[in-house]
Amino acid sequence: MFAYVVKRLISGVLVVTLVSMAIFLLFWFGPSSPAQPICDRETQNRCTAAKLDIYEKTLGYKNPVYEEYGKYVKGIFVDRTLTIASNDYECSAPCMGVSFRTKQPVKEELVSRIPATFSIAIGGAFLYLLFGVPIGVAAARRRGSVADKALVSSFLFISSVPYYLFALLTWLYLTITFEVPFFSDTGYFPITQDGPFKWFSGLFLAWVALGIFGCTQYTRFTRGAMVEALSEDYIRTAKAKGLPTRTIVYKHGLRAALVPVVTIFGIDFGTLLAGTIFTERIFEIQGIGWWSLEAVQGRDLPVVQATALFSAVVLIISNLLVDVVYSVLDPRVRLS
Amino acid sequence: MSADTAGPETLGSLSSEPEQQDPNSQQAKEISGKSPMRIALGRLAKDKIAVVCAVVVLFFIICAVFAGPISSAFGVSLETPLASERVDGLNQGLPLPEMGPPNGPFTMEHPMGVAPRTGEDNLAYWLYGCRVSLTIATTATIFASLVGVIVGLLSGFLGGAVDKVLSFFIDMFLTIPFLLAALTIAPIINDRFNLSENYSTIQKTALIVVLSIFGWMGTARLIRGEVLALREREFVQAARVMGMPTARILFKELLPNLAAPIIISISLMLPTFVALEAGLAFLGIGVTDGVSWGQMILKGTNLTFFREYPQYLWQPLLGIVALVLSLNLLGDAVRDALDPKTRR
Repeated sequence: MFAYVVKRLISGVLVVTLVSMAIFLLFWFGPSSPAQPICDRETQNRCTAAKLDIYEKTLGYKNPVYEEYGKYVKGIFVDRTLTIASNDYECSAPCMGVSFRTKQPVKEELVSRIPATFSIAIGGAFLYLLFGVPIGVAAARRRGSVADKALVSSFLFISSVPYYLFALLTWLYLTITFEVPFFSDTGYFPITQDGPFKWFSGLFLAWVALGIFGCTQYTRFTRGAMVEALSEDYIRTAKAKGLPTRTIVYKHGLRAALVPVVTIFGIDFGTLLAGTIFTERIFEIQGIGWWSLEAVQGRDLPVVQATALFSAVVLIISNLLVDVVYSVLDPRVRLS
Repeated sequence: MSADTAGPETLGSLSSEPEQQDPNSQQAKEISGKSPMRIALGRLAKDKIAVVCAVVVLFFIICAVFAGPISSAFGVSLETPLASERVDGLNQGLPLPEMGPPNGPFTMEHPMGVAPRTGEDNLAYWLYGCRVSLTIATTATIFASLVGVIVGLLSGFLGGAVDKVLSFFIDMFLTIPFLLAALTIAPIINDRFNLSENYSTIQKTALIVVLSIFGWMGTARLIRGEVLALREREFVQAARVMGMPTARILFKELLPNLAAPIIISISLMLPTFVALEAGLAFLGIGVTDGVSWGQMILKGTNLTFFREYPQYLWQPLLGIVALVLSLNLLGDAVRDALDPKTRR
C-alpha cells in the first residue's frame, strides 16, 4: 500500500513536471514575442521595437529558456522579485508570476478565486449523488418495468444534449424570461460578506443545471452496479434469512454497488474543481474558469499559464486520491 | 429470384435433394455465413431510433456538402451588401420589418430571417456553419482515431518498455482537461496569426490539431485492451511462426479484428467534437473569425437580441442539439448492434 502510494506520487510529480515544462515552452515559443502582450498594454498599442526589447530583457526572455524555467521552478519554493520594465514586483513563494493586467501576483488572485469554483464544485457534486444514486437504486429495483425503461431512455436523451446548451437555456429562460424569484440573480456572493442565503440563491441554478445533467451518468452507473449486486448469492441468502427489504437493498446491495460510483465521483469532483468554465461563463460566477477566460481575452499570459498548471495539478492529485480510496473501500482490489 | 437459383445449383443437387426451390433458397440465406458487420448492420436497420437518427445525420451531411447549391437555390448568400439596408440601427440593430422576424413576417428572400447588427442571411450562415462544424469534427475524428489506433496497436502488441512509455503518455494526456488546453493555445494562436490573411483557416486548423491531440487517448486505451487479448490468439501466433514481419501482423492480422472498437470510438468522438467546436466558439476561443454555430449562439445570447429575437438563438441551437443528439443516439445504437452480448 505504502509502496504503491509512493510510486503513484513519483509518477504524479513526473507528470506535473512534464506538464509545467510543456506549458512553459508553449508560452515561450508560442507567441511571436512573449513580451508583446504586456508591451502593447503598457504603451497603449504603441509598442516599438526598442520598447519591446526592454520588456523582453527585464522579463528574462533574452536568457536561455532552461535558465528561466529554472528560475520559475525556484520561484515555486522561494520568494523572488520580478522586474517588468522599470518596476519591481515582490512575488512570494509559491510564485506563479505577475498578472499582466492587474500587476498583482497571480497566486493571490488565484487563491481569491478558489472559493467560487469550490462552491460550484461541492454543490454540483452533492447533487450528482443526491439525484443520481437514489434514482439509480429505484430503477434497479424495478428493472424491466415501464418506469425503468422510460427513465433510462429519457436520461440517455438528456445526457446526449451538449451540457453548455442545457445550462444556457436554463439560465436564459429561468432568469431572463421568467425571472424566477430569489434565484434570478446568479453569481458568486461570498458567504462571509453577503450571508448564506445570498450565496445559496446565487449558485442555486448553476448547481441544479450541473446536478441534473451530471446525475444521468450516476444513475446509469448505480443502476448497472445495483442490478449486478442484487443478483449475487449473498443477497439471496439475506432474503432467505428473512431480512427486511430495506436492509437488503441499502445495507447489503448498495454498499457493494457504491464502490464504482465513488471512483467516478472522485474523478468528477476533481474535474469540477479544476475548472467549470462553461458553468461559470453562463451563470456569471467569477471563479477560476471565468478568470482564465478573461485572461485569454486580455492576453494575460501568466494567468493563463497559472490556471492551466493549477487544473492539471488538481486533477493529478484527485486521480491519486481516488485510486487510494478505492483500494481502501474495496478489499478485493490489490494495488501493486 | 427463383429463376436465378434454379440455375446450375439446382442442376447440381438434382439427385440428392428433389424439389426444394423456394425454401432452399431461403434456408441457404439463413445458413450462409454472415460476417459480424453484416449482423450488426441488420440489427441496426431494425432499430427504429437508429434509422431515424441516421436520416437526421444524413440531412446534416447533405446540408454541409451542398451548402453552396442549397443557399443559391434559395437565392441567399453569405455576402451582405450593406448592413444598414437590412438592420435598423436605431432599433438596437434588429432586422428591419421587411427582412422577416422579429418585427415582420417571414419573407421568401430570407427564409430564416437575417442576423441582427450585421444583417447576414441566417439560412446561408446556418448552412455554412453546418459545413464548418462537420468538417472540423470529421477531420479531427479521423486524425484522433489514427493516432489512437497506432498508439494502441503498438503499446498492446509490443508490450514491455514501449507499452510502459505509451501508457504513461496516455495517462498524462488524460489528466489534462481538453477545454483548458484549448484555452491555453487560443491566445497564442491569436497573438501569432491575428493579422494573417487566412486567420480563420489557421484557427480551424489549430482547433483540429488541438482536438486530435487531446482526443486520441480513449481510442488508444480501447484498442490496447483489445490487442492484449488478440495477440495471444492462435492466428497471431501462427503468423509469427511463419515469420511475418511485425508491421504486417499489426495491419493485416490485427487491424481487421479491431473494426468494432474503432467504429465505437468514432461514434463517441464525432458528437463530442461537434459539441466542442460550437462550445469553444461560444466561449470566444474557437473559430472566432469565420462562420460557426457557436458564434451565432454567443450573439443570440446578447440579452437585447434574446428578448426581442429569440428565433435567432434557436436556429443554431436546434442545429447543434439535433446533430449531436442524433449522432449520440446513433452511436449508442451502433454500440448495441456491435455487442454480441445484447439481444433484442
